Amino acid sequence: MRTTEKPLSTDERPVLARFPRPARLAGYALLLGFALLYALPFLVQLSTSFKTDPEAASHPLSLLPQAPTTAVFDKLSGSGEAGSVPFMRWLGNSTLVTVVVTLGRVLFDSAAGYALARLRFRGRVVLTAFLIAVMAVPPVVLLIPKFLVLNTLGIFDSYTGMIVPLLFDAAGIFIMKQFFESIPREVEEAARIDGAGVGRIFWYVVLPMSRPALITVTLLSFQGSWNEFTHFLVSTQSSDYETLTTGLARFVSGGLGQGTQYPLKLGAALLSTIPVAVLFFCFQRHFIRGANAGSVKE
Amino acid sequence: MFRRSTVAVTACAVLATTATACSSGFDKSKNGPEQDTGKKQSLRVLIATSGDAETKAVKSATAAWEKKSGHKVTVQIAKDMDQQLAQAFAGNRPPDAFYINSDQFANYAKGGSLHAYGDKIPDAEDFAPELRKAFTYNGELVCLPKDSSTLGLVISTEKWKEAGLTEKDYPTTWDELEKTADKLTEGKTTGLVTTNEYQRLGVFMKQAGGWITDSKESKMTADSKENAEGLGFAKKMLRSGSMKFAKQVDTGWAGEALGKGKAAMIIEGNWLDGAMKADFPDVGYKVLPLPAGPAGKGTLAFSNCWGVAKESTHQTAAIDMIRHLTSKKEQLASSDQIGVMPSRTSVMKTFAKEHPESKGWAEGNSYAQRPVTVPGFTKVLDQFNADLQGLATGSPAEILSTLQRNGEQALKKGD
Amino acid sequence: MWGWLFVSPMVVGLGLFMALPILMAAWVSLLNWDGQSNPFTPDADFVGLDNYRSLLAEEGLAQSLLATSLRNNVYYVLLTVPIQTALALTLAITVNQRMLRGRSMLRTTFYFPSVTSSIAVATVFLFLFQGSGAVNRMLSWIGIKGPNWFQDSRGVLWVLLDAVGIVDGRPDGALGEHRLMGLPWVEWLAGPSVAMCTLILLAVWTTSGTFMLIFLAALQNIPRELEEAAALDGAGRRHVLRHVYLPALRPVLFLVTTLGLIATWQVFDQVYVMGQGDPANSTLTPAFLSYSYGFDNAEFGQGAAISFILLGIVLVMTGIQRFLLRERGVRGQLRRRLATATARQPAADEGKEAHRAHN
Repeated sequence: MRTTEKPLSTDERPVLARFPRPARLAGYALLLGFALLYALPFLVQLSTSFKTDPEAASHPLSLLPQAPTTAVFDKLSGSGEAGSVPFMRWLGNSTLVTVVVTLGRVLFDSAAGYALARLRFRGRVVLTAFLIAVMAVPPVVLLIPKFLVLNTLGIFDSYTGMIVPLLFDAAGIFIMKQFFESIPREVEEAARIDGAGVGRIFWYVVLPMSRPALITVTLLSFQGSWNEFTHFLVSTQSSDYETLTTGLARFVSGGLGQGTQYPLKLGAALLSTIPVAVLFFCFQRHFIRGANAGSVKE
Repeated sequence: MFRRSTVAVTACAVLATTATACSSGFDKSKNGPEQDTGKKQSLRVLIATSGDAETKAVKSATAAWEKKSGHKVTVQIAKDMDQQLAQAFAGNRPPDAFYINSDQFANYAKGGSLHAYGDKIPDAEDFAPELRKAFTYNGELVCLPKDSSTLGLVISTEKWKEAGLTEKDYPTTWDELEKTADKLTEGKTTGLVTTNEYQRLGVFMKQAGGWITDSKESKMTADSKENAEGLGFAKKMLRSGSMKFAKQVDTGWAGEALGKGKAAMIIEGNWLDGAMKADFPDVGYKVLPLPAGPAGKGTLAFSNCWGVAKESTHQTAAIDMIRHLTSKKEQLASSDQIGVMPSRTSVMKTFAKEHPESKGWAEGNSYAQRPVTVPGFTKVLDQFNADLQGLATGSPAEILSTLQRNGEQALKKGD
Repeated sequence: MWGWLFVSPMVVGLGLFMALPILMAAWVSLLNWDGQSNPFTPDADFVGLDNYRSLLAEEGLAQSLLATSLRNNVYYVLLTVPIQTALALTLAITVNQRMLRGRSMLRTTFYFPSVTSSIAVATVFLFLFQGSGAVNRMLSWIGIKGPNWFQDSRGVLWVLLDAVGIVDGRPDGALGEHRLMGLPWVEWLAGPSVAMCTLILLAVWTTSGTFMLIFLAALQNIPRELEEAAALDGAGRRHVLRHVYLPALRPVLFLVTTLGLIATWQVFDQVYVMGQGDPANSTLTPAFLSYSYGFDNAEFGQGAAISFILLGIVLVMTGIQRFLLRERGVRGQLRRRLATATARQPAADEGKEAHRAHN
């Protein structure tokens, strides 16, 4: 943290005069209040997970549970007893799918990205155009279409059907393509002169240089498949294949005869947020870089 | 340009061949799949549970059958039964046995997704005739009715006492219902709580002498004066605040409102018993027949049957399991645990004797209306339920004329 | 040779799971298919354009449902996009101030909601906005009796006009009698329902962080000399904002707005969790309607037809985006900047981020 006493480096010095003190304080207060609004839902969620049902109903806003209980987490970690939610099953499915999808995406994205960036072959231009067209198709219009194709291929309601369609991700390919385009060609030339083939150059020379882009793609794939909902909704039917998102969504939007059980719902939601949150706080820089470049689709 | 289109065409052709060459999930064999005759089959059962009590009851009953038969059963709980079953049929991966709600039955039977097994049940005659009728398609009994339930007026004994009311004040007419509800509405307690769906509010239409369709379900009668009167009464109570929908008092369903003391009276069916036992064992309540309207008494009846999928490879085992689950002993046991009424006439008397507290529901059997079962009607009734949400501010006549219009269109399409 | 080897998984994958599904759905949208038979055989019940006709040209349930969902989504777009863009811009300019303490803390706080699962945050909002929930408690501190958010299907316009006494309840008469696509004008003009407002708030809350970062990146690319020159001329804050920041941000502003336009038409996850169209269809969106026709009612043909209508809308939005960004060269500019950024820094990403927040 820098302090005001220290002389500031030129780049850090403000261009404009500072606000007068009262305005500054008011500004800080306003900003702080706003930040609180952004954080409050998570704080309420955290505290409600440790409340009992009646307390959650009567004191929805209090951040300190009067009689903290871990009943919610006991119920979530319990096995298939009647009344408990199969949280472990959801967690297992989500983890499995996310890990496989992330690994697969990193591989396919970088291979395809490299080919589009560096290799000359027939149809490259058409492919790039195809990729852009594909990215313009919004995922939600594919709900019924995807179901049809999974069903035709006979992989509806299976891990294959959950994982394989997610492996191909046009946006990730673009990130890799753009990154590869920024690497100086000389490195590859040197390797080629040493007699290395395309495969070797890609694997031993280019990929090791691409760590930053690979990390970004890994993080985005992880976050994307962990939070994926619509695809799992239409690719599975039986509760064996429920993930954290589909399981929680069905549980929350639940059927007749179910009480509100908010602490349980919020607890499950909280636990399902943790992995991505941990990644976010560890690799914040990458996430922020990620969001930035955003939107650059061509 | 030429090259581009060639590439595109080739790609499409390759895709199409790949897709058709693969085993398709859509293909169904004409006479159903080859049957598994093994000694240790593994069955998938999908149920829509009314709560923990029912889940436990079904699980223990299937476990008993597992022991007896040597097969294995996995019971899955549907969160959204209609959606999950529709998707399972379309995806050709239906569970072996499952609940079918009477209002969805016609859709599945018409689509050919069900294995009709009524002829394989020697004592099918024992099941109540009107229930059998509900699950008969093209003259064939398709599936066995699991149980039956009707709606009653359930009152909280505690709130009753607090308001200084006695047995004499049990409402038997609309007028009395309105006055009692008014009296019971106080602070956080609402006089009457129910859900905003025709499966509950329809009782008022029935009590006023109306209903959505004629008795043969071939003509819409939604825009009748009687229906408008029924909904008008409900609207009046909603407006006065003595009646509210369960979600308006922050609860998932009326039973929860009763348990949490947010409702003094609710309109619910037999499944309430099991749910109250599990979730609110200390809350006292009493079941009464619904108060009569201008056209006398009226209530709605619901039932489920145990469907067997045409695409199941374990049909024989599934039927055997269902016979076990619908046996006299199991029906009485599930009555004890869940509260629902047996579907066999031979045990109905035993039920009435053993469960005098359920008299309010049991007597409804004689004058109950069954839900609409026309194929393709789901969306129409969904829309009706959506409109009912705005009943407090909307006009009953308008809601009903929309229902009439939509229903006529669906009937025409179904022909 | 190597090229095709490298791209073949992608080509097959995207072809199978993006291109082929669209072709299949196009076929199914011409069928009356209940999901209980194979639609790709000659026995399929071919009905031509009937599914489209009942949605667009025939009075009835399908048409009024589509009209309701379009009305809901239009209001969702009209409110979400400006609010989230303005908020993101304000946050970005605020957080960009060099003298602000705790900048990175604030940035993290504002961005965090964007990375979480839409299902999880929708669950939290469901709890916060209950009738006697946290939000209404907070409102009661300042003497406002909050509505029962998720149960309130009244349009906010009529609620507001009622509150100031211009109309009573909601206007009747001509507005109530005349219909467009089967929906009375009084419904078209009602504004988003109170329940829909919570979805709008959720969207703003989850998306403004992402867009803030996009603005921040652009702000950081404004040459410092420009600001200094303006400051030397004795320009005030407002002047700098108008003549330095806003012109520099213009292309990004276009980008963010159009990204928002595209993404807000695709809202689905929140609708699924927060009421599935309830109350009284006032949170129904075309995306959810298509799903519910297909998977709840087994009318897959009708559902597929709705998704094609939605696809049309989104493609128009995308077209507008491409058109607006066309000559300004934003993309070229951004690309170059991005390329250098990625080369130097841990890198880059996708517009999907913004989409996701809405899905």
